[in-house]
Amino acid sequence: MAELTFTPVIGIEIHIRLKSDSKLFCSCSTDTDAAPNTNICPVCMGLPGTLPRLNHKVVEQGILAGLALNCGIRPKSLFFRKSYFYPDLPKGHQVSQCDLPITTSGYIEVHDAEGNLKKIRVHHLHLEEDVGSLHHSASDGRLEGADTSYVDYNRCGTPLAEIVSEPDVASAAEAVEYVMNLRRRVIYSGASDVELEKGMMRFDANVSMKCSDGRWGHKVEVKNMNSFKALERAIEFEIKRQKKLMLNGEDVIQETRHWNDAKGITSPSRVKENYRKFIVEPDLPPLHVTQEWIDRMKAKMPEMPDVKARRYVSEMKIPPEVADVLTDDKNLAAYFEACVAAGANPVRASHWVRTEVLRVMNEKQWKIADFNIKPEVLASLVARVDEGKISTTQGKEVFDYMTANNSGVDEAIKKLGITEGGVAGNALNDVIQTVLKNNPDVLEEIKSGKDTKGKKLKFLQGLVMKETKGQAKPQEVAEALNTII
Amino acid sequence: MELYEYNLHELTEKLKSKEISPSELFESCKKRIDACEENIHAFITHTEDFAKAQLNKELTGIFAGVPTVLKDNLCTKGIRTTAASKILGNWRPPYDATAWKDLREAGAVLMGKVNMDEFAMGNTCGNSAFGPTHNPNDISRVPGGSSGGSAAAVSAGYVPFALGSDTGGSIRQPASYCGVYGLKPTYGMVSRYGLISYGSSLDQIGPFARTVRDLQLVMSVISNYDPMDSSCFREKAHDFTHNENPSIKGKKIALVKEFQGFTLDAPIADAMNKIKKILEDEGAIITEVSLPVVARYAVACYYALAMSEAHTNLERYDGVRLGYTVKDAAGIKEMFERVRSYGFGPEVKSRIIAGTCLTEPTRCEEYYVAATKVRTLIAQEFSRAFGETDFILQPVTPSMPPKIGEADDDAMKGYEADLYTLPVNLAGLPGLSFFTGYADKLPVGLQLIGPRWSDPELLHAGVIIERHTGSPKIANGGVK
Amino acid sequence: MKLTSEEVNEIALESRLLLNEAELAGAVRYINNFLDMLDRFRELDLKDVEPFSFAEALECPLRDDVVTAFPDTEAILHESEHVDGSYFKVPRIMEE
Repeated sequence: MAELTFTPVIGIEIHIRLKSDSKLFCSCSTDTDAAPNTNICPVCMGLPGTLPRLNHKVVEQGILAGLALNCGIRPKSLFFRKSYFYPDLPKGHQVSQCDLPITTSGYIEVHDAEGNLKKIRVHHLHLEEDVGSLHHSASDGRLEGADTSYVDYNRCGTPLAEIVSEPDVASAAEAVEYVMNLRRRVIYSGASDVELEKGMMRFDANVSMKCSDGRWGHKVEVKNMNSFKALERAIEFEIKRQKKLMLNGEDVIQETRHWNDAKGITSPSRVKENYRKFIVEPDLPPLHVTQEWIDRMKAKMPEMPDVKARRYVSEMKIPPEVADVLTDDKNLAAYFEACVAAGANPVRASHWVRTEVLRVMNEKQWKIADFNIKPEVLASLVARVDEGKISTTQGKEVFDYMTANNSGVDEAIKKLGITEGGVAGNALNDVIQTVLKNNPDVLEEIKSGKDTKGKKLKFLQGLVMKETKGQAKPQEVAEALNTII
Repeated sequence: MELYEYNLHELTEKLKSKEISPSELFESCKKRIDACEENIHAFITHTEDFAKAQLNKELTGIFAGVPTVLKDNLCTKGIRTTAASKILGNWRPPYDATAWKDLREAGAVLMGKVNMDEFAMGNTCGNSAFGPTHNPNDISRVPGGSSGGSAAAVSAGYVPFALGSDTGGSIRQPASYCGVYGLKPTYGMVSRYGLISYGSSLDQIGPFARTVRDLQLVMSVISNYDPMDSSCFREKAHDFTHNENPSIKGKKIALVKEFQGFTLDAPIADAMNKIKKILEDEGAIITEVSLPVVARYAVACYYALAMSEAHTNLERYDGVRLGYTVKDAAGIKEMFERVRSYGFGPEVKSRIIAGTCLTEPTRCEEYYVAATKVRTLIAQEFSRAFGETDFILQPVTPSMPPKIGEADDDAMKGYEADLYTLPVNLAGLPGLSFFTGYADKLPVGLQLIGPRWSDPELLHAGVIIERHTGSPKIANGGVK
Repeated sequence: MKLTSEEVNEIALESRLLLNEAELAGAVRYINNFLDMLDRFRELDLKDVEPFSFAEALECPLRDDVVTAFPDTEAILHESEHVDGSYFKVPRIMEE
């Protein structure tokens, strides 16, 4: 009997916090680090009689994020009330665009197991309000076993984009590439900073398994992943768990499971959240987005990171892994492109940026904005090394000098006592003469023909190179030495 | 003549000319309240101290020194607001409803927060956690609801005007039962910010007064665009200036064909004929419009929508942030259940369950979504009708105010009685409930409906009718 | 009878309402009469009718993204009996 094979079928729901100063439906600050329950008002606290007011900026951020995911924008969308009782939800319902979202479908590209590009379809992106944050009294700060919980409503009403994928993801690796690529695109669009450590991106995954014998396991919703690693591990765990069940001929029950990052397992969720069908939010008339508005947003969209990376590879012949690093940060990519624009050889420039610039940024904990060598300056340095006016080693010395002293190239070269264009001709002969004068014994050995392996000659060459601070061409040195000897 | 007996526009003039002082007027109204309140029970909360504080300051604005009361579902900063429900406990809102803010800034003096059916769910003012209000014209009868306290207060002469809210007739029906004028404005004309929601897409705040001219005055103060209410209509400016001699010559006033078969109490049927005659004498053309969908489906459509919206509006009452709560619950679910089970009254519970039921995934399409579509048909039917006529004349209710406790135990029958009022809310139209006269001591009211934003014209027509019928007298309020 | 008392009770619990026998009986009568009333919708052909209609073809107004702190957050906290320090304290959330 043939070996059973299993294909994971995975859909991913992502919540991203959109960038705005004030909340989605009221004028409270979105600063969630503020002292607990200070950024609250009658509206976000759901006090009786209050009504929502939609934030123009958030709609624009939603449009930008949608465009970044290759989504279409709906001219008319609606808000709904999604009902469930929970202490972090003041109104007892969440106001969300779930049923008629601001975007239509889109896609994000990832690489499949064979390394081919594959589209993960995005079903839609919609706007919704976040809930408050809960702190649990349990020692480990978790919900389980907590006798009391503490609610902070500062986060309540901050704007979220929920992004729902089609079940096109076939592995944990694809899932991670999907969310990473998606995150970079959203950051490029300016819709959000998506700072992971600040919980600005949260993941849920729907995992089910298709078996080669035709069986199809039930869908399991895995919640509570807050990092790429957690997403990857949670999916891998679920795939193993469901595969094992199906191999034993058992059923995978349809359920919601929570990822426990500490234990590295998923376990059935014990919190009952039964959403009901949504009713229209009667306090918010339909949201209209004109084509003119969409066009204005489209004009704002920069080249997307993965597209940019592919262009670097195809047009500039930059190695894919380097292109990936350069495009990870919009501003770093801009810096690199400025170097090239200033005349630097793209491949060389890419290596300088990737190794030297990033090294210094890491050492100094700088952002590219803080980096004190102007791209055109770096370009001229790269050019000089390129043309052999100065050696690579010297180039790096110059580079370090410039960052350390905010100096220009010429000043650095002068201060480091480097003679551009190298040592040759008479100048080289002079150096050689001095070296020979200082090493008569070595010279003797060579002349008496004892240096059969040419070791001594090499030794003298080394000394000459050292004397010329590496600015002489090695062959020239060898030839000159021979003729003189 | 006692000061409390004067109408709003008279009082504003006397106060402006300093002929009378705000405190004299306050004392007169207070005396009237003290004399009748034990019979009528219109108040939930007296706000004398707040009023005195207001009087101690220099009051400015067209209502400077005019006493008023508010239905207790209008939020008043720092003053208990209950919506006549136990679940709000002693909640003191941290903000003012926009409509009240407008009145306050116009100088109005708050005498109190008045009774209503819990969360505005009812038409008798009997579903209140604070007990029933009595009709000042006959204290054995209901004042109507849900804004019964506001209507009773104006009818008994407590105050010259009051605010209420109308979701399916809650201003027009008590106005009619108590013998005062009441306007349900076009949806979007008065800000709902600070009105405790029942059916958000149907709710609208409006005034009660003893003359149409007084309604015009109040509307001129509260009909403003408010950015706090996204359903508030921007591009409209409304002119409620009183016109001494308006005309309805040549205007078409229609009766609804489908309603003609329905039975009415004799006094109401007589009133219909009387008003028709008056309008014809004024040169109006009496015609007929057909509203078949309204006649057959409006009631079902209305209650389906009202309850679907209501149950979500009431999800916020969980005892965590405000109002009645329990401190000793073992878990959050128990806490929610105990707070809500004790806090809500029976009618409210029934409507929450109904609303929840209609929006269940299995039933949502069949009931809730269907109702939103029927609403579309009803709105279309009305706009067609108003292509053929300027106004629609019809009863407010088919029957005279019932005795307290006489209410039908079949809730659905009671709902059917709202057929004449609730279509107006479904289409967001303005409706004027006006006084026509008395039938053995009980006032009889009728209703004039216009297209959206026709509120000023509606009131002009009301002025004309009032000139013929005369204004209502202040009810004796159970005092011999 | 469209709904049994068990079903009605289930819905009540979903709305966080505990009904005594009398209330439940009343609710069952009420809800079933109500659903009967709604059967009328079946007479209509609603296939191509626009759902979710609003009173007027209103457009959602949009607010500028400007922060205005509510001046009296204390007045909000003051209304809750569950405030503990600067937090709202609630009992066990996890259902046993």
